[in-house]
Amino acid sequence: MKHRLHCTLLAALAMGAGLAQADTGKLLLTGGVSSIGGAAGGGLTPWAVIGTNATAGEVGFSGYATRAATQDFSLNGYGVAVGLHDRVELSLARQDFDASPALALNGIAPFGVEPGQHIQMDVVGIKVKVAGDAVLDADSWMPQIAVGLEHKRTRPGSIGSVLDFLGTQTSGTDVYVSATKLLLAQSLLVNGTLRYTNANQNGLLGFGSAAPGKNSRSLQPEFSIAYLLSKNLAVGAEYRFKPNNLQALGAAAGLGAALREDDWKDIFIAWAPTKNMSLTLAYVDLGRIVPGITNNRRQTGYYLSAQVAF
Amino acid sequence: MTISRNTLTAFSLAAACWWTPAALAQAAPATPMVAPAGLYQALGEKPGIARLMDDFVNRVVVDPRIGGHFKDAKPQALKDSLTDQICQLSGGPCKYEGADMKSAHADMDIHKGHFNALVEVLQSAMDAQGIPFTQQNRLLALLAPMHRDVITIR
Repeated sequence: MKHRLHCTLLAALAMGAGLAQADTGKLLLTGGVSSIGGAAGGGLTPWAVIGTNATAGEVGFSGYATRAATQDFSLNGYGVAVGLHDRVELSLARQDFDASPALALNGIAPFGVEPGQHIQMDVVGIKVKVAGDAVLDADSWMPQIAVGLEHKRTRPGSIGSVLDFLGTQTSGTDVYVSATKLLLAQSLLVNGTLRYTNANQNGLLGFGSAAPGKNSRSLQPEFSIAYLLSKNLAVGAEYRFKPNNLQALGAAAGLGAALREDDWKDIFIAWAPTKNMSLTLAYVDLGRIVPGITNNRRQTGYYLSAQVAF
Repeated sequence: MTISRNTLTAFSLAAACWWTPAALAQAAPATPMVAPAGLYQALGEKPGIARLMDDFVNRVVVDPRIGGHFKDAKPQALKDSLTDQICQLSGGPCKYEGADMKSAHADMDIHKGHFNALVEVLQSAMDAQGIPFTQQNRLLALLAPMHRDVITIR
């Protein structure tokens, strides 16, 4: 799988680089930035916009690298996306999550978690615009609407024994619908996304749970708002509701709220110094992430992402 | 855990806010937008708009992406016509008597990339005139819907 993904990534890069020779003509920042799942949007949630600089009749390419770090955890991510005719977006993302605190789980049971263990996850995404124009239809309330899918595969290494114990799957698929509207006269962009998912911590802790935890998917809304300070600078905030599939299982095992999962929030600033580059800096509040091994701390910290797009 | 009832209600409300006006907008064709208060003054009234259109057209005709579309246009006539159009659109006491947008562009091959390029050139011209970004967007919000008539290649 690893090899296959690398080949696909390289192929996508080569294809993107080749096809993106022609001048592409989307307005600045209207393709969003790269979300952690690889789809174009805000930092934590996809939007209905199609990524890259390609507008109608064009093919574009983008690539990004992201780092986020909180009190106990850190995440590195990178990925690529291809935008076809401002209609279809294909994306590939890889995440590397430093789950070192999981070593403490060996104190609960002999899980064999190794020191400094990382969890990796690959995300293959597709998004299709189905209606509207987020930017140009400024005289109507009709937003741009897109439907998307994110297929995720998690490689937990020595934490796999823990995920097996919890009865979580190592792969899962989220489906979502997004509506994005730029209120141009107000310089304000708003997005609402509704995701159908059973991912734990976006999939890094697997998908679903053994009973009495929740194994099935649920609908989770995600909201973003961004204010344009100038044509290449935006500030905003996001709120992403999350499922809490594992807490009931933890409670039944006498661990209280040790496996609780919280909603994600952030405030961000995005800057596009050139037409082909954007930088996003955010303060994130990811709530509690396996609070049983992190002294019940909220995980807050920074998120930094750089994107190139053609 | 599924989302709470409150969350669901909030989302339904948000969804209703999205959808109801959208449904209305589709039921009734978009009416001409009312000029936002103060925009005409923010653009420097007719002399300011004339300066803006002078610079804008000078930039457009040499732009490698879209200059070709204007090779047959008479620059001064275009500047005068655009000045009247923007003046009227932004709430000024002018009367645009040129062609409607659809027939003015019907013979040209214009795709969305060209339209966006034109917006970028206008943004640069407005920057050069010192027009504040928030006022720029109020004008662009009046112009952007014209994409339906201006873009001929979908």
